[in-house]
Amino acid sequence: MTNHVSLMNRRRVLAGGAALGIATVLPWRADASEVRRGGVLKYATLGLDTADPHRHTGSIAVQQLYVEALTSIGPDGNVEPFLAESFDLSEDGKIYTFRLREGVKFHNDEVLTASDVVANIERVKSKVSGGWLASAMKLVDAINAPDARTVVLALKEPYSPLLNLMSELWILSPKSEGWADTIRTPIGTGPFRFGEWQPRVKLVAPAHKAYWREGMPYLEAVEADLRDDVDMALALRAGDLHVAKVSREVAAQLGRSTDIAVTSLKDSSWFFVSFNNRSPRPPFNDLRVRQAIAYAVDKTAFMRFAAGGTGVVTNQMIAPGNIYFDKAQHDADPHAKPDLEKAKRLLADAGVKPAETRLELVSWQENYPQVVVQMIRRLGFQVNHVALDDLGAQKRLGQYDWDLAVMSSGPRADVFLRYVRLMSDGPNPVLWGGVQDPEFDKLVRAAVAEPDLPDRKALYTKAWQRVLDNYYTVVLGHASDTIALRRQVKGYEPGFTWSPNWASGGIAQTWLSA
Amino acid sequence: MKQSIDIGLRLVKALGQALGIVVLVFFLSRIVPGDTVDMLAAQGDLTESQQQAMRHSLGLDRSAVQQFVSWAAAAAHGDFGESLRFKRPVADMLATALPTTLVFAGLSFLVGVGLAFGLAVGAVMTQSRAITALVDAVNVWSIALPTFCVGVVGILVLSVWLGWLPVLGGMLLPVLIIGIDSAGQMVKPLHEELREAATSAHVRTARAKGVSALRVALVHLLPAALPVALALSGLVLAGLVAGTLTMEVLFGLPGIGSLTLSAIHGRDYPVIQAAIVVIAVALVAINSVIDILHRLIDPRLAT
Repeated sequence: MTNHVSLMNRRRVLAGGAALGIATVLPWRADASEVRRGGVLKYATLGLDTADPHRHTGSIAVQQLYVEALTSIGPDGNVEPFLAESFDLSEDGKIYTFRLREGVKFHNDEVLTASDVVANIERVKSKVSGGWLASAMKLVDAINAPDARTVVLALKEPYSPLLNLMSELWILSPKSEGWADTIRTPIGTGPFRFGEWQPRVKLVAPAHKAYWREGMPYLEAVEADLRDDVDMALALRAGDLHVAKVSREVAAQLGRSTDIAVTSLKDSSWFFVSFNNRSPRPPFNDLRVRQAIAYAVDKTAFMRFAAGGTGVVTNQMIAPGNIYFDKAQHDADPHAKPDLEKAKRLLADAGVKPAETRLELVSWQENYPQVVVQMIRRLGFQVNHVALDDLGAQKRLGQYDWDLAVMSSGPRADVFLRYVRLMSDGPNPVLWGGVQDPEFDKLVRAAVAEPDLPDRKALYTKAWQRVLDNYYTVVLGHASDTIALRRQVKGYEPGFTWSPNWASGGIAQTWLSA
Repeated sequence: MKQSIDIGLRLVKALGQALGIVVLVFFLSRIVPGDTVDMLAAQGDLTESQQQAMRHSLGLDRSAVQQFVSWAAAAAHGDFGESLRFKRPVADMLATALPTTLVFAGLSFLVGVGLAFGLAVGAVMTQSRAITALVDAVNVWSIALPTFCVGVVGILVLSVWLGWLPVLGGMLLPVLIIGIDSAGQMVKPLHEELREAATSAHVRTARAKGVSALRVALVHLLPAALPVALALSGLVLAGLVAGTLTMEVLFGLPGIGSLTLSAIHGRDYPVIQAAIVVIAVALVAINSVIDILHRLIDPRLAT
């Protein structure tokens, strides 16, 4: 017996962006009768490092133009059927059955079949060593294609993030050039084809004429600008770009223009102060000292600085509005407001003389860590603030010879992808100080294996309580990443993550007015 | 014979300089913290053991000296390897980027030389105060205004406000900016040299004989200024390497400069290394050619 996976009750996740009070409704939305076909959309958000979609890790925003997956993440964070028109999960939470959409064609005009899907899952399982999917695929016991439109995936144990993670298991034609090793010319099913790629310059993606969504895409092509050191805001103002990722400060300026609208991703980025948990140096291994530092940070002032009026203050790693946000925990945050006197008393109790204590603080070369530095200095600590570029910070954090790190982290397709970073063997744990807590690991593993949503949420909340109690990391708040677009862009709204293509919306239905 | 030996020695010295730059940059780039695996890890998807395995497979866990030996052995056979980030042959990436830089630098040089000669000759031949003032203005412009500042203002005015030129990928504005900057470096000494030549006896005689102004300029003035022009061209060409780098980044031109910068950001060592080889060889070649030409046209230097 199987249970049909009801999207609404399995993963009802409200739009984080709306909860953050960010304008997400664009003023120039038009109805379908007005649609104008043709035109080349010039689009600049994130880069593209590889032509092999299975090997792309991290935040992805370009390859979704030409490749799609069995599921996608809707703007509200829910899993939507995508190349699969439906999916079912067995009672024991171990067997997923995907029913493929009929008549989906690859860019080489061949029809997508279940055996193609199986070949893609096998390829990721055997060839890809890094990434979220690699660990998920280790749990796969068997993959079968009983008929041309059915794929059955059997897991060794229940794994609740699977449907979300499947939104990044790209389905390509096994005839793609380089399939046996590294794909050089991906043949996907996306609304646009992989055209001409110039690494770190551009990707020209012409429309897929036989795209499965009736009458779409409306655009003739998308030109993804992949240059990473140019001023996208100026290019947008000059009309060289139609859609661009911009910083929050720039977004505020651009928003005043009548030619440009500013919107944001629906999921949020979160800001936090992490302690070195892997090898903490005295006195920062003393809980009272960690508490004192948390009391010294004015979260409201920080979020006002970091996100203007668009941020929210919380102690949760998930923004308000999301099903995994725990209001009771949020309301009980002792650090919602700063308390400098209490902080000083805690330091005195711990026998710490801040003036004689040097604190090594690592951050990226951003403005917002300065705010935390100044707040901690009010306690009297000597703060040595080391601001490094992305890779420099990555290296330094991995050495665990620091005390505090002020960081942020972006949207993820599933809550587990946030929790996993704090697990003992989690991917890239350095931003959170390399937490090693078997009890936390146990709770997250139990949450992942729990098919029932309320029970799963309770387990995640319990795991987060350990983070709060041990002061592994102190969350300051959330804000969404911003995207600006020119007036003639219609039918475009950012999604939950950086992906520009999902079942219920995205770039396939975007068009350019005259 | 002696001149040939001189030129030979000059070339050997140049080769040594180029090798020195390449070796220095190889080790300096390894001192900068972080590597390509850190970049992938920073995107959040690699566990610590996956990072170690990847570092091992890319040879990044070996000592810098071991890495240099294998890189140099391959490079000596013309194999610059594969980009760690894009998994593409470095030679292909350079071949794609090089034409942009060559066209950009070439056009900028032509604009610079043309403008400098035009203004300097014009000022001397016409004795016009307006043109002389323009010589000074271009010179002061070049000294006082950094090209990246002019670039930003130029984008704002010509692209954003007036909408005449594209912000990304357009070559007209950066060529003009670098061209004027180059002209500014050359025009003043060139003007002085020509003015001095114009007062010399043979020019006065030519004029007295009724030789046309154009002929005086071409036959009598310009050859006199050639050694100075050559020396200045060397400086300007070397400066172009730095100038094109910033302009390529600012205007989004996909040349060697922006390729190098993005490789540095991503610690893409094979690309950094190959790009530096190209830049070092170009710089040393420019200097050597100028030096050799100088010796050929001015025999006093060869003695």
